[in-house]
Amino acid sequence: MKHLTLSVLLLILLLIGIASLFVGASTLSAQQIIDTLLHSGEYDFIVNQYRLPRLLLAIGVGAGLGLSGSLIQGVIRNPLASPDLMGISAGAGLAATSLLVFYAAAPVYLLLLTALSGGLIAAAIILLIAYKTKPTPIRLALIGIAISTFLSSGIDFLIIVNPVEMNTAMVWLTGSLWGRNWTQVPIIWATLAVVLPFAFWLAWRLDVMGLGEDCATSLGIRPSKLQLIALLTAVILASISVAVAGTIAFIGLLAPHLARMLFGHDHKLLIPASALLGALMLIIADTLARGLQPPLELPAGVLTSLIGAPYFIFLLQRYKAW
Amino acid sequence: MPFSTRYILLFASALILLLFSFAYSLIAWSSFPLNLSHISAYFFNFDHQSIEQQILATTRIPRLLVAILIGTNLAVAGVLMQGLTRNPLASPSILGINAGAACFMALASIGINVLGEVSSLVSASVGGLVSGALVIFLGGFFSARSNPLKLILAGIAINALLIGITRAAIILADDRAYSVITWLSGSLASMDWQQWQLLWPTSLVGLVISAYVAKNLNLLALGNEVATSLGINIAFTRFLSCIAIILLTASSVAVVGPIGFVGLIVPHIARRLVSNNYLLLLPISALLGSCLIVWADALSRGIAFPAETPVGVITALIGAPFFVFLSIRSKAL
Repeated sequence: MKHLTLSVLLLILLLIGIASLFVGASTLSAQQIIDTLLHSGEYDFIVNQYRLPRLLLAIGVGAGLGLSGSLIQGVIRNPLASPDLMGISAGAGLAATSLLVFYAAAPVYLLLLTALSGGLIAAAIILLIAYKTKPTPIRLALIGIAISTFLSSGIDFLIIVNPVEMNTAMVWLTGSLWGRNWTQVPIIWATLAVVLPFAFWLAWRLDVMGLGEDCATSLGIRPSKLQLIALLTAVILASISVAVAGTIAFIGLLAPHLARMLFGHDHKLLIPASALLGALMLIIADTLARGLQPPLELPAGVLTSLIGAPYFIFLLQRYKAW
Repeated sequence: MPFSTRYILLFASALILLLFSFAYSLIAWSSFPLNLSHISAYFFNFDHQSIEQQILATTRIPRLLVAILIGTNLAVAGVLMQGLTRNPLASPSILGINAGAACFMALASIGINVLGEVSSLVSASVGGLVSGALVIFLGGFFSARSNPLKLILAGIAINALLIGITRAAIILADDRAYSVITWLSGSLASMDWQQWQLLWPTSLVGLVISAYVAKNLNLLALGNEVATSLGINIAFTRFLSCIAIILLTASSVAVVGPIGFVGLIVPHIARRLVSNNYLLLLPISALLGSCLIVWADALSRGIAFPAETPVGVITALIGAPFFVFLSIRSKAL
């Protein structure tokens, strides 16, 4: 039954993905798009160089963020935890922005490494605080948000002081898939390909961890090691997503929640479902961003926060363990 | 004995700090070299021919005055909010009032007039009112078991939502994203006498109201029952305080854009200095708030000279670590 739901989800993803190829400043017919996909031609740029890579990026980044969120929530056992609320996205964004500001011609691998180290440092800071003060889940969320605010005002500062090209700047501020092309596609997909097996390896171990640390230890799992691996995986995913598309808020928070509503607490289903739902959300947001008022582009991150913030409030209303 | 020598000394030192920052911020980091003698010349024998004095008269003096008043407004609003909600993390920026005012102003400025043809000040006030009410409602402030953290998180979520709407509306309306980002971060860069004219009357009304409610807030801090038995009209006091908060915050946002964290930090420092007596807390906070903004503004010019950094970015960089510190330590949460 649940596997059926998963396949239905996959089908919806596919359909919306195809539909998104039709949305944009110039209207194309189905025939034209199929022709172009099969043997390029007149609309090669619009379809093959512009909309298709963007679709693939949206799937990759969305899946990465959803996955990262589900791993973080699985390890920290905090319904309000997610890469953006914990400051990981902002840390990666700040590091990447500073690199772009001070060394605009940086090669891609350097950008990735910088974003990754930024994300890792931010994660290390918040985990250190969490370890020292043992906060309640809700207080941890608050601390994470404050760290996020600090880091993103750092991004604001860098951009305003050194006005790089404004469009690049907007990408880092709110997250957007605008102006991306095939060069970024292999990055996010390769990361996913490397990390996904890890995530599945973690899946049942996270379930066991849910039974309590003693139980997990007696079943041959070292909790601290497992937590470290899972968090590292989550940080890598979130940082690479940020390096590709900027800080896109709320997907890492929402996707795991929706997945849990649909599939319960089994991580073997939860992990692929969060990835799928994250991808779905980002495709929808990006398609809307492109299609609301073409030729103008909204950052997809703005749209995700328009959907995400009310959901966050809804979570707050439901959250009982104050 | 509220006015012992210690308090008077504190007052005096805060004033001296403020005075020093006056002079400093007038001449510091100018693209056109200025020094102290120009300031004294400006005050004592003004000369229309002198470029230095013209710079002081047309840009620096109004900028300084606006900075002082904004600092006062935000700090006083922060004190009132923390007093009303009994929440150490409450402040105009965190409870969404800044963002609401900014959002409505941005919508009005791009032609989506939710309220018809009204001045920016009115739309900012209404925006602040709407978002503040929304946060208080969603944060469960009036529910039986109200939790201070829930209020804060609701504020943060509403903030994110409003900032999203503001950015989307502005990008859809036109492409001048850069100036909007500068404004959304809160900047004092383009102040002149016109802005000052817009700012001071509303601020004055707000400050007078806050001075009026200060004594009642002292009694309210003893608990609702005690306050009622001492003849305080609780609902009326709260209402007046809300009006003051909205006036102070909205006028600030309408003029310089949302500047965060001043209303959060300053009341805490002031409370350390003068304990919880609002009659002292309000003026000390006002002084400290204006010091903070004046210094942050001077810093915002200097930190990446000759480029201007929005002062809101500076206050956020100072304020966010402070917020982390408060949320870790605060026992009341």
